[in-house]
Amino acid sequence: MNKSHHEPALQEAGQQDAQQYLTFLLGRETFAIGISGIREIIEFGGMTSVPLMPPFLRGVLNLRGAVVPVVDISVRFGREETPIGPQTCVVILEVAHEGEIQYVGVLVDSVNEVVEIAAEDIEPPPSFGSMLRPEFIQGMGKVNGQFVVLLSVDYVLSIDEMAQISHVAESSEPAHE
Amino acid sequence: MDLSKAKDTFLQEARELLQQFETLLLKAESASLDSEDLGALFRTVHTIKGSAGLFGFEAIVSFCHTVENVLAQLRSGTLSLTPELSQLLLLCRDGISRLVDDAEVSETPLVEVPEAERALQDALASVGVHEETPAKPRSIPVATMHADVDDAQRWHIRVKFGADVLRGGVDPIACLRYLSTLGTISGMQTLFPSLPALDELDPETCYIGFDFTLTSSASLAEIDGTFDFAREGSEIEIKSLTPVAVPAAAPAPDNQPEPEARHAEPVARKPGEGKFLKVEAAKLDRLINLVGELVIAGAAANVLSVNRNDNQMQEAISTISTLIEQIRDGALNMRMVPVGEIFQRFPRVVRDVAHELGKDIELRISGEETELDKSMVEKLTDPLMHIVRNALDHGIEPAAERKSSGKPTRGKIELMAYHESGSVVLEVSDDGGGIRRDKVIHKAVERGLIESGAGLTDAQVYHLLFEPGFSTAEAVTNLSGRGVGMDVVKKNIEALRGEIEIESREGQGTTMRLRLPLTLAIIDGFLVQVGPSQFVIPLDMVLECIELVTQESRYRRYIELRGEVLPYIDVRDIFDIHDAALPSYRYIVVVQYGNKRAGLVVDHLLGELQVVIKPLGKLFRGAQGISGSAILGSGEVALILDVPQLVQVACRQEKEEIEHHHERSHTEHACGK
Repeated sequence: MNKSHHEPALQEAGQQDAQQYLTFLLGRETFAIGISGIREIIEFGGMTSVPLMPPFLRGVLNLRGAVVPVVDISVRFGREETPIGPQTCVVILEVAHEGEIQYVGVLVDSVNEVVEIAAEDIEPPPSFGSMLRPEFIQGMGKVNGQFVVLLSVDYVLSIDEMAQISHVAESSEPAHE
Repeated sequence: MDLSKAKDTFLQEARELLQQFETLLLKAESASLDSEDLGALFRTVHTIKGSAGLFGFEAIVSFCHTVENVLAQLRSGTLSLTPELSQLLLLCRDGISRLVDDAEVSETPLVEVPEAERALQDALASVGVHEETPAKPRSIPVATMHADVDDAQRWHIRVKFGADVLRGGVDPIACLRYLSTLGTISGMQTLFPSLPALDELDPETCYIGFDFTLTSSASLAEIDGTFDFAREGSEIEIKSLTPVAVPAAAPAPDNQPEPEARHAEPVARKPGEGKFLKVEAAKLDRLINLVGELVIAGAAANVLSVNRNDNQMQEAISTISTLIEQIRDGALNMRMVPVGEIFQRFPRVVRDVAHELGKDIELRISGEETELDKSMVEKLTDPLMHIVRNALDHGIEPAAERKSSGKPTRGKIELMAYHESGSVVLEVSDDGGGIRRDKVIHKAVERGLIESGAGLTDAQVYHLLFEPGFSTAEAVTNLSGRGVGMDVVKKNIEALRGEIEIESREGQGTTMRLRLPLTLAIIDGFLVQVGPSQFVIPLDMVLECIELVTQESRYRRYIELRGEVLPYIDVRDIFDIHDAALPSYRYIVVVQYGNKRAGLVVDHLLGELQVVIKPLGKLFRGAQGISGSAILGSGEVALILDVPQLVQVACRQEKEEIEHHHERSHTEHACGK
């Protein structure tokens, strides 16, 4: 249950068939993201909201001199806004966009741990029942006998798509049904 | 020994010198050059030749030598700079530039001068200047006696190279190799008085020297110039063995510094050296990132010291904070370069293209001191070039047409740069025929881009020009009109998060305006607070601040300011900030944008500050009324207001509100019936 300052070490282990994932809580659900795209995890220490932006773009924060957008993926999933609490963290991810690496922060209720999930413990996503857009799911990983949704960062944090939404209107949310 | 770094320096220096060379020649077209200019002209090529020799770029040496001979005669006054010669020299500049480019990319340097440059060499000879390359015999006898072209003289040269010469990237052998292109070396003796025993020998230290006789027709300055790069720590002695004192007989060395003087201050020869330091951009970026972290660490320390209630500590930390801020500003400023760096290429382009098109066009440049981020400057050159070429080709009409429409036959193109509300604006305007709306529409319909031109605003019509494959020029010229271009220009500008505006009046001219964000630029801002958020208003837009007097009608959103109506925007309303208590006193910041004024209603005035603009990134492309963000001393992010856009948003919101009311009253009316 460590919540602050994970370094993006341990990356070499990701080369093997068992990959490492960071699990975190969002709403009451546990999700996981492959650690290779994670730059660092910071405790939530305030952010600046940008007016007239869609609700999933919660604001921007200062990461040692760089202004990083903070995305509320819960809102992006069509769920409720993530409340800010003492456990709230921002997972800073590296997202490739037009040949450049862009940092995007993801607001989570709390981070759990880094786990290793073997390839054979990953199931394909169900055709329904996850209440998520299918392309957002990379697979269903089994952790301690429980399934967690392994998120596909490329789609969940697609810069192009999110920019499009923020460009078109403030209210239009990605429809999931 | 790694020569590649030294080579990079050579390439960069050569390019800068060529630029100088060009600027001087272009200056000669409007004003006559004084002896200082002519001397400078000579030195540029001479320096390139000298350095090229060190690297064994034979082709450059040989070609520069020919050019240099002509320049030497210009300098001595035996030849005058005619427009034809100036043109030829410009072409030679391009020739040298090509050779330098070649030296950069090819593994083995060219030894022979290529065909195109050889033709130039011949052309130079036909201007009435004779060749002086050792390979060719002199062809035309000249009446004037001249040091540079005098009969071969014998020189006794004794060089003891400095111990650090090798470490400085200079190969003594290259000096000799270069000298051997100037003449014949004889009686060579190698000097190694200080050569230590083998086990004490440091392979990176230079222990040798040479003593030899050179038979050459080159001037003393030329021979001496060979050792320019090796001068430091070296002992160089050049004595003429020919009894007749050369300087007395020749006019050339008059304005040439004496060799002794040059030994004394070798730095003085290159103008600008010492004033600038070349630094790898990546190093600077790393520094800037570190400084960014330092600022935040400093702010954290500040908070701690305040909490501790330790006055001495607080004082010390505030001193440190001030210094950190200065360091940050300094570091960021280093990335900024004046736009002049791009603009200086244009006089030549305009001149050449106008010449080619048979048009008489004058170029005016202003605002070249406007600063822009270095990385942007590099990406702006091509789009700007394209726009200027377009203006030359399609904008300015042929002289006859201009005359018949009552305009001066000489066309005018203006390049302008200035800062406006947190962006850099680059303008290219011409006084040509303007964009013909009907022609654009006709073409767009023909290409199937639109159905008809009806109902399109001018801006929309001009926007069609940016469609891929669109071109209105009837004849496809060498320069433009092939329909590639404007769409690429637009793409490039958008990649820099900038935008293009076109303003045009038929018969009067066109203005293309590139509005670019100041990535990494620093602006003076005025910090205000609205609810929990802090915003920065570019200071140059702020006129004054006044207290807001509560209005009697909630529909009245203007005040009277010294007899004028001042409409205002409540930032709380427009940005939907309602989660904080309304303070009892609020303020209006009066801002000016373009030639209009407006008020911005804010909760608190926090004062002036200098901020570094950080773009918000692509995710916030749709942000309205916000042009970027800035990191405050506390580490918090504040948003920078885009005032003109904010006004647009306010106009739209108001319009919607009115329509909404209108509709509602209609439906109410209908229901009542």
